[in-house]
Amino acid sequence: MPSFFKKKRLILILVSFILLVALIGFSLRERSELTWPEKFVHDSVGWIQTIFNQPVQFIQGTYENIQDISKTYEQNEILKSRLSRYKSIMQENQMLKKENEELRSSLEYQDSLTDYEPIDASVIARSSERWFSQMIVNRGEAHGVKRNMAVITGEGMIGKIQSTDKFHSTVRLLSGFGLSNRISAWVWQEDQPIHGLIQGYDEETESLLLKEIDYDAEIKKGEKVVSSGKGGVFPAGLLIGEVTKVEMDQYGLTQTAYVEPAADLYDINQVMIVDRSMPTYDMEQKNEEEEE
Amino acid sequence: MRKRFYLPLILLFLLVLQGLAMSLLPASLAYSDLLITPHWVLVILILIAVFFDNDDTYYSLLYAILFGLLIDMVYTSILGVYMFTYGIVIYLAHGLKKMLHGNFIVAVLLALFGLALTELLLYTIYSFVQVTQMTWEAFLTKRMLPTGIANLLFFLLAYPIVKGKLEKWAAN
Repeated sequence: MPSFFKKKRLILILVSFILLVALIGFSLRERSELTWPEKFVHDSVGWIQTIFNQPVQFIQGTYENIQDISKTYEQNEILKSRLSRYKSIMQENQMLKKENEELRSSLEYQDSLTDYEPIDASVIARSSERWFSQMIVNRGEAHGVKRNMAVITGEGMIGKIQSTDKFHSTVRLLSGFGLSNRISAWVWQEDQPIHGLIQGYDEETESLLLKEIDYDAEIKKGEKVVSSGKGGVFPAGLLIGEVTKVEMDQYGLTQTAYVEPAADLYDINQVMIVDRSMPTYDMEQKNEEEEE
Repeated sequence: MRKRFYLPLILLFLLVLQGLAMSLLPASLAYSDLLITPHWVLVILILIAVFFDNDDTYYSLLYAILFGLLIDMVYTSILGVYMFTYGIVIYLAHGLKKMLHGNFIVAVLLALFGLALTELLLYTIYSFVQVTQMTWEAFLTKRMLPTGIANLLFFLLAYPIVKGKLEKWAAN
């Protein structure tokens, strides 16, 4: 009898190990969509999280309100002085916008890469596993969210949509970007923007790696990095961060810049999911259509 | 009869709370250099293995596999890792408990053992699929030790509340 139990145990361990490898293999595949059980679980847990989130958010909100009231006078003074300046800028902005539109219509070039429709969303939970930089927001397919859309806060880009469910979606933060998550970006300079690709995140310096920059490009510390809108579904002109360090790569053919994200990646409550107005060329969709 | 649903409900509640804690706690606390990861579900599972299950029932193992898979789905993008890890750890804890009495010291030791083994297994699997590139030293000092201590605190907090209830439910 004892030998029978041991054999059973061995088989059990083997089977569970095979199951583990199979499941990991299944989830590491580049999937364009989640399976329905996953979507179902995501949405159900999402609803529960939303319910628990409400009272806590309320308390947090009241606390912040009380803090705000105590600073109101000071802020009011500063804001008044700024308001007059904004008026003139606004006028100028409107004029430029109109001019831009006119020029565009004369060129028959309606959509711009920088145009986008924001979808407002709030964060309902973050991954409890610290090795995964992802969080769950309360907008999903039903609200028009699609995979790979950019996610921003008022300060700048924070990540992109990793997977969508019916009413929730998972955001992969910039700090979790690997080699396969690339963003085509520009280092913004007055005369000519310098092109590069964001590839990966350096945990030690807590900055993104902007690679494939021409070896003779001159990049200075503090210059802004924005998305270029080429490739993928990101619109152009989203602020990503600031250059902190520039390095020649191993072979001296290209340069790598370290980019510190402009947005705070930890203290996030409200986000915007960016839906680009310009239609995108989706390779995956195209392939699927061909197969059909 | 209704009491049968209490355990899964508690575990589901903790699973949800794990994710909420990360977004609601002040960032300076939840996101310091130390990679503290909550394993509250596991802590309760160990208590279930020690005080609820007898030698022939395997509720703790069943819940470990189920809620491990749920954690995989909700909080990570790789399925099976938590399911496998929690399954193995609870299976071993259940086996070890057969040889020992169910008292406080045993529960603490099993919790420590379970947390350490969980962290080790997670690190091994995740570095194998290149989710993390941490070195061994960094893992030990920044991840395993702080996580162990933080979850042990949760264990000490949960023990007096949960223990009596579990024994009562087990008796029915």
